[in-house]
Amino acid sequence: MKKYNHYFKISLLLIGISAAGCKKDFFNRPPADTLTLDNFYQTTEQVQASTNALYNSPWFDWNNKASWSIAEMLGGNARTYSPDVVNFSNFSVTGDNIQLAAAWSALYSVVAQSNAVINNLPSHVAATIPAAVVNNALGEAHFMRAVAYFYLVRTWGNVPIITNSLDNINNYQVNTNPVTDIYKFILNDLKFAEANCTAMIRNGSKAQGHVSSGSASAFLANVYLYMRDYTNARAEAEKVINSGEFKLYGVDIPGKTYADLFKTANNNNEESVAALQWQGGSSYGHGNSQQAFFAWTSQITGTGDGYGSVAASIDLTSSYEAGDLRRKPTIMYPGDVYPELDQAHGGYTVPSNAQAQASSALLKKYVVGTPADNGGLGAAFSTGINTYLMRYAEVLLIEAEAVLAGNASTTDAAAVGPVNKVRQRAGLSPLTSVTQSNIMHERRIELAMECDYWFDLGRLDGFNVTSHPKAIAIIDNQERGIYSTTTPVVVWSQKYNISDANFVLPYPTTESTLNPKLLQAPVPYHF
Amino acid sequence: MINPNDIESIDVLKDASATAIYGNRASNGVIIITTKHGKNGNAKINYNGYVGQQQVSKTIHMMDLKQYAKLENAISDIYNIGRRPEFADSSLLGAGTDWQSHVFRKAMQQSHQLSVSGGKDGLNYYVSGGMLQQDGIVVGSGFKRYSFRSNLDAQVKEWFKLGLTLAGNRTSEDMVQGDNIGVVYNALLQAPDLTVYNADGSYAGPPASDPLSVSGVINPVAQAKQISNHLTRTNLNANLYNDIRFTKDLTLRSEFGGDFNYSDNNLFTPTYTWGRFVNPTASLNERSQQSTYQIWKEYLTYQHTFAGKHIVTALAGHEVQEVNWRGMQGYRQGFYSNTVQSLNLGQASTATNDEYKGSQSQESFYGRVIYNYSNRYSFTATLRKDKSSKFAPEHQTGYFPAFAASWKLSDEAFMENIKTVADNIKLRLGYGQVGNQEIPNYLYGSPLNASVTGLGTGFLLNQIANPNLKWQTSIQYNAGLDFSLFNKRIETSVDVYKKTSRNFLFQLPLPAYLIGNFTYLGGINPPYVNLGRVENQGIDITLNTHNIVSEKVKWNTAVIFSHYNNTVKELTTGLDELIGKVTNGFLDVAATRTVVGGPIGEFYGYKVKGLFKTDDQLSKAPQQFNRPIGNSSAGTWLGDVQYQDLDNNKVIDANDRTALGNPNPKFTYGITNNFSFGDFDLSIFLYGSYGAKILNLLDRSMGGLSGPYQNQYASVAGYWTPDNANSNIPAPKMGTDNPNIFVSDRFIHNGSFLRIQNINLAWNIPSGWLRKAKVSSMKIYTSVQNLHTFSSYNGYDPEVGSTNQSAILTNIDNGRYPLARTITLGMNVQL
Repeated sequence: MKKYNHYFKISLLLIGISAAGCKKDFFNRPPADTLTLDNFYQTTEQVQASTNALYNSPWFDWNNKASWSIAEMLGGNARTYSPDVVNFSNFSVTGDNIQLAAAWSALYSVVAQSNAVINNLPSHVAATIPAAVVNNALGEAHFMRAVAYFYLVRTWGNVPIITNSLDNINNYQVNTNPVTDIYKFILNDLKFAEANCTAMIRNGSKAQGHVSSGSASAFLANVYLYMRDYTNARAEAEKVINSGEFKLYGVDIPGKTYADLFKTANNNNEESVAALQWQGGSSYGHGNSQQAFFAWTSQITGTGDGYGSVAASIDLTSSYEAGDLRRKPTIMYPGDVYPELDQAHGGYTVPSNAQAQASSALLKKYVVGTPADNGGLGAAFSTGINTYLMRYAEVLLIEAEAVLAGNASTTDAAAVGPVNKVRQRAGLSPLTSVTQSNIMHERRIELAMECDYWFDLGRLDGFNVTSHPKAIAIIDNQERGIYSTTTPVVVWSQKYNISDANFVLPYPTTESTLNPKLLQAPVPYHF
Repeated sequence: MINPNDIESIDVLKDASATAIYGNRASNGVIIITTKHGKNGNAKINYNGYVGQQQVSKTIHMMDLKQYAKLENAISDIYNIGRRPEFADSSLLGAGTDWQSHVFRKAMQQSHQLSVSGGKDGLNYYVSGGMLQQDGIVVGSGFKRYSFRSNLDAQVKEWFKLGLTLAGNRTSEDMVQGDNIGVVYNALLQAPDLTVYNADGSYAGPPASDPLSVSGVINPVAQAKQISNHLTRTNLNANLYNDIRFTKDLTLRSEFGGDFNYSDNNLFTPTYTWGRFVNPTASLNERSQQSTYQIWKEYLTYQHTFAGKHIVTALAGHEVQEVNWRGMQGYRQGFYSNTVQSLNLGQASTATNDEYKGSQSQESFYGRVIYNYSNRYSFTATLRKDKSSKFAPEHQTGYFPAFAASWKLSDEAFMENIKTVADNIKLRLGYGQVGNQEIPNYLYGSPLNASVTGLGTGFLLNQIANPNLKWQTSIQYNAGLDFSLFNKRIETSVDVYKKTSRNFLFQLPLPAYLIGNFTYLGGINPPYVNLGRVENQGIDITLNTHNIVSEKVKWNTAVIFSHYNNTVKELTTGLDELIGKVTNGFLDVAATRTVVGGPIGEFYGYKVKGLFKTDDQLSKAPQQFNRPIGNSSAGTWLGDVQYQDLDNNKVIDANDRTALGNPNPKFTYGITNNFSFGDFDLSIFLYGSYGAKILNLLDRSMGGLSGPYQNQYASVAGYWTPDNANSNIPAPKMGTDNPNIFVSDRFIHNGSFLRIQNINLAWNIPSGWLRKAKVSSMKIYTSVQNLHTFSSYNGYDPEVGSTNQSAILTNIDNGRYPLARTITLGMNVQL
């Protein structure tokens, strides 16, 4: 035994080390590549940055294909043969539709991430951060949650109001809440945003990408308009107009045109009330992918995408007034010249045989060209053009409709003036009086491919109704077919007789399977 | 990755107590692989080499051009666009392109391995080096590996022994996209009227001029050959051990181990024009990853025999493990050349980069006592304490006891009489708990992922934290009986077990209204929870028979039979069911439903009654999904699927879904027959599974008849038309969300199969012939792997497995790589 003594001591030492065990720190392995809730919200810059992502990737799948499948294809502005979304244009979408699920998931991503800020910021923020900074961030989160619910309620009607994901983890089978409660919830959120977001005067600086108190007022005006609360709609719209925060490109800002609104160089311009903030050339999920589906050829995108998955409908193209300057920035026809596209080759001329979806009415809006056309930034499914959630032109049209206040027509300058201001930029003659259908038409053309028309049709008979005679009359007469390939050219017509049930979409099957209560009658929300 | 030629033996430990000593690494059982070590005596030089050929073992029969043209005409009609003029008369068309024959190939492979082993003066060595080169069965894919191993053992002093194992390998792999947007899937869907190449030799594709080609598929041959995805991996594994023998009975063993991995992945997409698929801007994505695993073990073993019969073994040990990983990726686009692929050559303004890194740690203490009485009775008790960084501080530690007892009946005096009939009778009983922490790091906290936005860096909540998360415990009871009959001519083991997973670790499938989308699209990961209790009960029977035992001829048979049932016993979520959904960029379907008391991952959907074939059926049937009767996309019409009204309420809706089948097999079995006739050895291994069901979601995309420009199974070419009114295959219908392709028993298949897994024939060249060449032994062999699979399944391979390792998404076929059949010819020479 003696000769082993030396080694025995060493061994005992080793065992001693072992037996003592590892220090507590050895088991503390927080992420080395991300911040955590425990070490965030500690500086003013961190709190200011905490809402940046609410303008980006959570919205991606909504912006990607879902928003235009719902607003433009159901609305009759656009058409496609693409089998994943073709059933939007013929009113036979089922709960198995992948883009329907994408819309739902994306909007609820916005809700979930907004809730995360609303619930975590107050409890984790350092006491040294000025209250105005904290309140502004909370205001932005309430704003985004309201916008997401506004799309949700207009697409599905009754949906569950979730304010904290943690509340329902062990009991996720919640009921939906009724449309009226969701509108009330949206109003509350927007009022919070109006009261807490910082006021701004827009100066065209790209840095002004966050929403302001005025952005919230503009959305309040819109929601009140949906609810036919014309007094409040008008008050909010005029609050925005009188603040001078936003300006109309080409009228208030001379030298700019409607087409300039859709150039990446003009992101966050004076007309932008609220917009998603994409980063051109960033990885999938962080840039604007719409160009991939709208551009009819990859010669325009320069990045391999450009699938022409969707084209303008006959019903939309035939709605334009002659000489409307908005047509070319929205829809491209063979022979049109776009100097801003394919600049490397001196601009882009649409060839005579250009066609997508058996239509030569190709989409232009949100098509911005190659990376070189956009300061070198861009990639497949990733341009830098911001998606408008609202433009000042819409505020003007809201004001006009609020002044009209449900009457058959009006010559009130407070209504006619804003409409004519929008028409002036479009190069159209002024109206002397306006009707509801004047405004509907103006909205459809002004906002085509900006995620609006289906929702306008949906509110035509009221925001919370089960009967839609006026909207059905319009849709039943929409031409959703194509021009023939025969000579002489005729219309191969496609018209759909729809029913009131078509005005809400089915819940995604995966969701109603996880929670069959979605299919039951809604229950009141406890405010 | 261990070179198979370096393996001495493989042992599988299933016994609850035996696995307990390996801790949470053993939560799914233990496979002990012993590599070869040198032995005292003459040095041996061994060469083993083979050449082989692989090819796809099954192809799926898709429509030929005639059938496809007829389908496209029907699709054009329902999509309300003019028929394609070239398809006006399908009888004039040929067979068209068989895309599978263009993406699959006969692929060669070769392997060479040389090893030297021996021992002298207390030093034993085994050194080997090898190379393997394989072409893939899909064009554009391939694999190469160079490896070495050095196992050294030295008895330095009579009381001190040390050893070093050092193994390394470097692999280099050319990959093609393999999942459901991959090359194989695209080959199935690609239209047979398209050709691989244009007349000028360039790759072709769906023409941009045809509006329906918006749903056309990229040329899979071009995709496989032109988009390069290269992965190289370097692995070094080192283990140093020493044994210090203090006394005859007391030994301390120390082990230091490390495993070091480096990999580089390089994905280059060149510029191309393949029909409507055009990429004018090349891009390169490079990814470098490294990870290290370190372990330090110390354990003391005391063994003493008291009074010649009582053997006591006691063991006490401690181990510490740490894993570190790190990866970076860079991306650029806009290359002036497709040939030199370096980030340096891309436009700097397009550059992006990302990093990830992290670590985890674990510490364990364990003790074990084994008492053995004259080799007849044995009793073992084990206790381990594991502490893991994956849980919040107050939940890091778990205690896991285990006990085992065995009784060798046949050594009892009273059994003496039957020894000639039955021998080696052993009864084993075991109970053991094992911890499981196979989950990602930091699930107890809330990371805020940095995210690119147009406003600068943003922050997104990554997951719903669960600070209460704790170890999952597998509690296993097992009983086994071993015996041999007729002088060991028949050897049998029977094991029954019940394994309960308590606090089952599981990522809760939450609805999107709580968490939103995938995390890469701004959603929040649902929390991992200790879900409840899952129970597995089963029986394994092993039978080895020595059917012919003579000098010249030998025939042995080994049969393994396994049966298990798994059941969810309890859920802690407050709900009595779990819905399994398959969600990716192309699919969003609820596929399984698991209820408390039922099997895990049972398929869930509608039951098909038949097709609507007459107006009378249409008018009398319950209304389906609120759709009017009508010949339109929004209507229900002749040729549509009629579903069963299971709740008898005269309406077909979501409430008519039901359980459609169990993905778990009733039993699995393996049969090995080894024959030897003189110098020849033949072994045949059959493997089978019976009774499992498969949900083939590809039936929706490849048999759904719902969109233009994509080929479909030949088996659905005879779809219902007024002229083909007896058909039970639904008529084409517009849109990939139409009710005809809702998840139903139409897509459930019998997953039973019997596979001829391996046949090996070897000729041992008579030693007399070899003596002059100083060769001590030489064997020439040929083998066939996956010769044939007997199965009625319509996909590539009925052995499907789980989606995303989720227990509730088993046997859902969502696009798999086909199985290869391999024929090899090899030689083994020993000097």
